[in-house]
Amino acid sequence: MRKFTNLLKKEVKELITFQLIVSLLFTIGLFYFIGNIVQSEVQKAGEKRDIHVFNLDDSQESKALLDGLSYAGFKINLLEGKDKAEAIEYAKNSNINLLIVIPEGFSEAASKFQFKEIEAYSFIRSFSMTSSANAAIVDQVISEINKLLSNNFLKTNFPDFNPEDIKNPIKSRDFVVIKDIMAEGSAAEVSNIVYSQSIFIPVILMMIIVFSSQMVLSAMAMEKQDKTLETLLTVPISRNQIVIAKMAASALVGLISAGIYMLGFRYYMGGFMGNIHESGQLNELMQKLGLQFTSCDYVVLGISIFLAILCALGLTIILGVMVEDLKSAQTMILPLIFLVMIPYIISLFSDINSLSLPVKVLIMLIPFSHPFIASQNILLGNYAVVFYGILYMLVVFIILIFICGRIFSTDRVLTMKLRFGRKER
Amino acid sequence: MDNIILRVNNLRKNYGKIEALKGVSFEVKKGEIFALIGPNGAGKTTTLRIVATLLTPTDGSVEFMGFDLRKNPDKIRQGITYLPEEAGAYKNLTGLDYLKFMANFYAEKPQDVDMYIERAIKIVGFKDRLKDKVGTYSKGMTRKLLLARALMTKPKLAILDEPTSGLDVINSLEIREVIREFVKEGVSVLLSSHNMLEIDFLSDRVAIINNGQILEIGEPKALKDKYSADNLEEVFRRLVQ
Repeated sequence: MRKFTNLLKKEVKELITFQLIVSLLFTIGLFYFIGNIVQSEVQKAGEKRDIHVFNLDDSQESKALLDGLSYAGFKINLLEGKDKAEAIEYAKNSNINLLIVIPEGFSEAASKFQFKEIEAYSFIRSFSMTSSANAAIVDQVISEINKLLSNNFLKTNFPDFNPEDIKNPIKSRDFVVIKDIMAEGSAAEVSNIVYSQSIFIPVILMMIIVFSSQMVLSAMAMEKQDKTLETLLTVPISRNQIVIAKMAASALVGLISAGIYMLGFRYYMGGFMGNIHESGQLNELMQKLGLQFTSCDYVVLGISIFLAILCALGLTIILGVMVEDLKSAQTMILPLIFLVMIPYIISLFSDINSLSLPVKVLIMLIPFSHPFIASQNILLGNYAVVFYGILYMLVVFIILIFICGRIFSTDRVLTMKLRFGRKER
Repeated sequence: MDNIILRVNNLRKNYGKIEALKGVSFEVKKGEIFALIGPNGAGKTTTLRIVATLLTPTDGSVEFMGFDLRKNPDKIRQGITYLPEEAGAYKNLTGLDYLKFMANFYAEKPQDVDMYIERAIKIVGFKDRLKDKVGTYSKGMTRKLLLARALMTKPKLAILDEPTSGLDVINSLEIREVIREFVKEGVSVLLSSHNMLEIDFLSDRVAIINNGQILEIGEPKALKDKYSADNLEEVFRRLVQ
């Protein structure tokens, strides 16, 4: 055990280089910086929508219309001026983004259902998220005006009815059913919450696998490039321990690195998703449906992710045997990245469970597919699928370790490159 | 018989269709420096790598202190150290950390590590630089560090492949002196070199190897007498001709 610890310490020391620390800190800083910028832009877009109005129809009805818009969440700024051209010129010079012009005689025409056109002027000064929101605001303003006018009309002509009941006579109640549990709520909202909760799992997994594998390959490549492998293989420690120490150190450093990257990624994503939060009602719905992870669920998910990492590391060690230097290590990682990318991309854009059987079988043969689908299966109570996945990954890992052990216990660890055309002295 | 520490018998090694070794046999006695000499590609390194448990022989046997190479490679690794010709050390570690790392594999108790390090410091001769990273060392310093690593544990058999390879005259002389000193303290040495003059000076017995076969074995003086030669280079030339 002492010899193993000695080797493990060395492997960790070799992996945690100054360059790695700088790169991690830089990435966190970058993510934090971008996240903050995005968050401030999103906040700007979500603030009370400021509109400037030049009202040429000085009637009680149009004033009531503006009050209605104000009530609907718009901040109304009235512009004074002689004519439309002057108002537009003023808006242009005053950093105003959106100007609504209500034409003269608008209310009178509306009361006779002879609508006049409202003019909306968007002043684009940049192409940021805030400026693109102007188009949406125009639509919202028009929609609100239409709503106010139609409601007023209905109220006047049918005082005993609620205008909303006349416009939408059919109502619906949404129910979500998951297995034997049924609860009232929106399926779309439930899906959104589950998606936003589980979107990080494939990203985390992808990062850890790629990181750890790159580290194993680099470590193997460095051993060969710096001519230290031969010496290491002649010291009195079992070859299996050498393999395990390399894997353990890479997994450890990979986990730490991925954790740090994820911290930065969280800042970054927080910028986009900061406004998404669960309401109390929605939380209650999720609880009712059993769509919340218990401690045991987290353990099962953790085991699934950990086994996927171990499988990746086992595969990397085998690939690493064929690596001769750092340059070839960069190429050798590609097959592994492809294997991880396939389930990763599918899990982001589709549901692996809903694929046709042959495709599903092919995807499931890739060990890394299982943790990608584990979180959703755990939430849906499909534990059998998760446990089969864990068992499958365990078997794959044992086979990979056996192959690694065989390679390291023979001279293939040094001579395997011979098969690729290089002569050994 | 007990005086023999290493027995190599009819060793063969093929790399695909290439026959690197064609039946090599020799023995190394306790406390002697046994050298394999021959030109590049003669099979010296392959022989040493097999004895060092790095390569598996295609045929033949290797027995070290009664342990068979195929059956007990782990036992053999406990009694040997190997210095490859183009060896390096971990560049991110300091010289001291590297020595401690290697010492820990051989030490039975923590005090042994300190003892090995003390010995290594005497060999390297640059104590003040041992806290610097290996990546900052010159070639000569790295080679001395690696030799110190190979000898500090006083192995039963030190396998040294071209120990003075690429070094200047002064460094080479120092390394030869260190090897001789350790042999006096009971370490047996199996080394290889294509520098036959160096071997003439350093070794107790030599095996002249060419094209995967041993052509002659004996003490340098006896070989020179036998072939009426002034040095081992002449002996080799006559054997090949």
